[in-house]
Amino acid sequence: VAKTGGGKPELLQGTLDLLILRTLQDGPQHGHGVGVALRASSKDILNVDHGSLYPALHRLERQGWVDAEWKLTENKQRAKFYRLTAAGRRQLQAERARWGRLSTAIGRVLGPA
Amino acid sequence: MNIRALVAALGRALLPNRRDREVDDEIHFHLSEEARLEAARGLTAHEAACAARRSFGSVALAKEATRAVWISTTVEQLVQDLRFGSRILTKSPAVSATAVVLIALVIGGNTTVFSIAHAILDKPMPGVRAAGLTTVSWVAEDGFIQAHNQYRAYSYFRDHSATLRPLAAFDFQRATLSHANGSYAVSAGLISPNYFETLGVRLDKGRAFTTDEAERGASGLVVVLSHQLWKTSFEGADDVVGREVTVNGYPAMIVGVAEPDFQGTGLGGQVDMWMPLAGEIRSELQPDRSSVVVLMIGRLAPGVSRTEAHAELTGLWSRLQQVDPELRRPALFANREHPGLKPRLSRYSATAGGDSLTSIYGDRMLAIFSVVTLLTIAVVCANVANLLIARAAVRQRELALRQSLGASRLRILRGLLAEGLSLSAVAWIAACVFAWWVSRAAITLVLSEAPATFVMPDITPDWTVLGYALVLALIATIAVTVAPAWRIRRLEILPSLKVGEQSIVQARSTLSRVLVVVQLAFSVLLLTSAGLAHRSLSLSNRFDIGFESRDLLLARINTAGSASSPEANHSLLQTLAGRIATLPGVERTSYVPGQTLLTPWVNFPVQRDRSTGVILATNHRVSAGFFHTLGVPFVAGGDFPETRHPGSQSVILTQALAEALWPGESPIGKTMLAGPLDRGVEVEVIGVVRSAHFSGRVTEAPPRYIFFANADRPASPGTATIYIRFSGAPTTIGPAVARALREADARVALAGLRSFNSHVAENAAPLRMLVTLLTLFAVGSLLIAAIGQYAVVAFDGRRRTREFAVRIALGASPPHLVASVLGETFKLTAVGLVVGFALSLAVAAVLSRFLFGVTATDPPTYAGVFAILTAASLAACYVPARRAARIDPMTALRTE
Repeated sequence: VAKTGGGKPELLQGTLDLLILRTLQDGPQHGHGVGVALRASSKDILNVDHGSLYPALHRLERQGWVDAEWKLTENKQRAKFYRLTAAGRRQLQAERARWGRLSTAIGRVLGPA
Repeated sequence: MNIRALVAALGRALLPNRRDREVDDEIHFHLSEEARLEAARGLTAHEAACAARRSFGSVALAKEATRAVWISTTVEQLVQDLRFGSRILTKSPAVSATAVVLIALVIGGNTTVFSIAHAILDKPMPGVRAAGLTTVSWVAEDGFIQAHNQYRAYSYFRDHSATLRPLAAFDFQRATLSHANGSYAVSAGLISPNYFETLGVRLDKGRAFTTDEAERGASGLVVVLSHQLWKTSFEGADDVVGREVTVNGYPAMIVGVAEPDFQGTGLGGQVDMWMPLAGEIRSELQPDRSSVVVLMIGRLAPGVSRTEAHAELTGLWSRLQQVDPELRRPALFANREHPGLKPRLSRYSATAGGDSLTSIYGDRMLAIFSVVTLLTIAVVCANVANLLIARAAVRQRELALRQSLGASRLRILRGLLAEGLSLSAVAWIAACVFAWWVSRAAITLVLSEAPATFVMPDITPDWTVLGYALVLALIATIAVTVAPAWRIRRLEILPSLKVGEQSIVQARSTLSRVLVVVQLAFSVLLLTSAGLAHRSLSLSNRFDIGFESRDLLLARINTAGSASSPEANHSLLQTLAGRIATLPGVERTSYVPGQTLLTPWVNFPVQRDRSTGVILATNHRVSAGFFHTLGVPFVAGGDFPETRHPGSQSVILTQALAEALWPGESPIGKTMLAGPLDRGVEVEVIGVVRSAHFSGRVTEAPPRYIFFANADRPASPGTATIYIRFSGAPTTIGPAVARALREADARVALAGLRSFNSHVAENAAPLRMLVTLLTLFAVGSLLIAAIGQYAVVAFDGRRRTREFAVRIALGASPPHLVASVLGETFKLTAVGLVVGFALSLAVAAVLSRFLFGVTATDPPTYAGVFAILTAASLAACYVPARRAARIDPMTALRTE
């Protein structure tokens, strides 16, 4: 789904969906906006191929976790905006909790460096 | 998945829908937005666009993956693949068209041939609807097959068999039907009362016979008309049931009319009416009831297999022979030349069970056709696969590109499969149209020699044939798909991408070469088989049957309506023959009473004396002058006297029979025994004629004939054939003969007027049809193989353009290049010929049983096939070779 470039860490399988859901929690956004936000919030460490955002967005849409709607941007361009649904919010909570447990567990196994 | 969802899925998948466009728009927006950001950082428009694409990754892959999110079902994926496949096909229309035409030709051709072969060999006659019908015939230990057995055997089976129930018996007889509108010679079916019920034939009007009517003739003679006779002779009158008519002069009543389709159970002459088998007529014509012989068709009882029925019938038959020693008498059937008669059960079809060539060899014919069909399919599939392999080689670059863009191998394979499916779908539709049209054309061609009364087999394609075509289409699809897929299986991406299109094509693949050789070999096999069969037939056409068969007209008449006794019949026939002989253009006439000479039954026992062995001969009654009319010379002795000598018992033998009875002696004046053992009579040999095929050629050697004078033992009124030797045009003789007969005695029915040759051709018609089919097949496959070789050579030439250009640039002369290309392809042709001839020799050994006059290694056939294939191969390769030699090196090398 994502690839590493120049020593940047590879995105774990399945985590892209979680990151997108989290990004959309801040408000409706189009695909490009999601990509820019991800880049910014990870401080450019996570280098997600923007191309891989779209299959993920559509997968989320299909599962009913996000809604999509065509609207005009500030530059008067048509863009598809994604918005978190109630189900998406619950999914985000669940995924987030799962991620927390997973990273704690991995941290414990690895121990202090 | 329910229907509505399926339709919705199909609709979504087939139409380039809204979602696809939305994905495009969305990604387009993304890229332009990203470029805008990059441009804001100071990049030029072009650099910004490039940067945007870089950070995006593969656009195509993203689009495909995004769309794939919404495509979940296999159906949708398949349909998407199909859409893709059809797009690919239209991209190289020439290759696709060739492939479609090839597949359509072979599927259409095979479906046609199968429809016809199936109709001739496998299907019931029109109107016969019952399931589980089984024809009972008889086979001797030596393989001799006869269709008839005695009526008493039938009645025993009918009463005792639990497996064949009901069991019907029937036979045929020519008869004269007279009613208010005139006299007609008709072909009558003599049937058991359960005949229509057994066959599942419906009656349009009236009823079938009751057992009382049929067995005892209780209420006089009753008849059922065929629908056609009812239409033609009774103008389709509604009140025809109950009408009084006469049959052979006996009063009879019409009790029913059969349904329109039904005209008898066997392919060949149609039946005009039916009457009870054991009724009055039958006993009049065959005074000895015990010798009445019949054909049998039964219906398997529910849950009974044909094997079980066969076992039961075999048991019943041996029990019957113990209780009824009459049946063991050698005179009639279980004779000494063919001992150990046993029942033989075959599935009923229009040609099953009888003793005709088609019925004996029918199964094997069908098997041969199936093999031949498979071979043709193999040839064509090889061809199409070769075409697609060639294209796949050129498309390696495209496929490598697709792989590098992220398409999985499975996905590419699916695309190729879709290509194959679209290809065969188009081809299948074309094939159906083609088959529909061709089967109509082919049947007229095949039947062109058949007589007008020939009942057409039912050639409408039925489920078997359609299913067959579908299987063919599937085989074709798999073949055309798997072969190219095999090639791309081990595709290396990088080398394919790095080099130009021309260079990546590897040296000609072994697979293509093998396929070319295979199809050439199959063509050789088909050509030799058809060639041998054809030559055998044409040899038998030109075969010297012992007399001149041209300018010989046969007038088949029925005298039952006019003469009332054998003596009266004799003088009537004399008068008629004499009358016709005076017509202008007629040279000589004579006649043969009773059954015509045209179906020789070798079943008449003759002996020198009681101490010597029995020889079976074919017996016939002829008029004086018969041999003179035919032009068969006397070897010894002379003809029957013109005048009657009641009580005299003189016979004329053919040379072969005379030599068998008295080797090395003159038989003239000697006496011999003729007839069944206990009823044989002493006769005196007065003449010996040269052996001839009096019945036309049926066997390799002419049968052994013994002739009686009709004057001495006049035949009962009924069928007779007048042999007319004429000079001039048959078109003028025919009407004159018909007029003369009418003037001589209006009550004599003219049943048919036909040349001897066409009469013989009628007997051989089904066999001839099958040989014609085989020939069509072979020619078709040669054509296909030639197209195939052309395609391969042409393609090969195209991808070797660069090599040829270099060679020309280095000084190779065009003739030299042509020769080298031809040389390479001729190596393939040579291998194909060798393999094909080896196959042919093996197959011809089996075929030779069918062939008269040619051996399996018939040199002219093989030489002909060699010439034809070489010529076809040369024609196929010459054009591409010339093209290769004409390459302009400068242009060719610059475009690299």
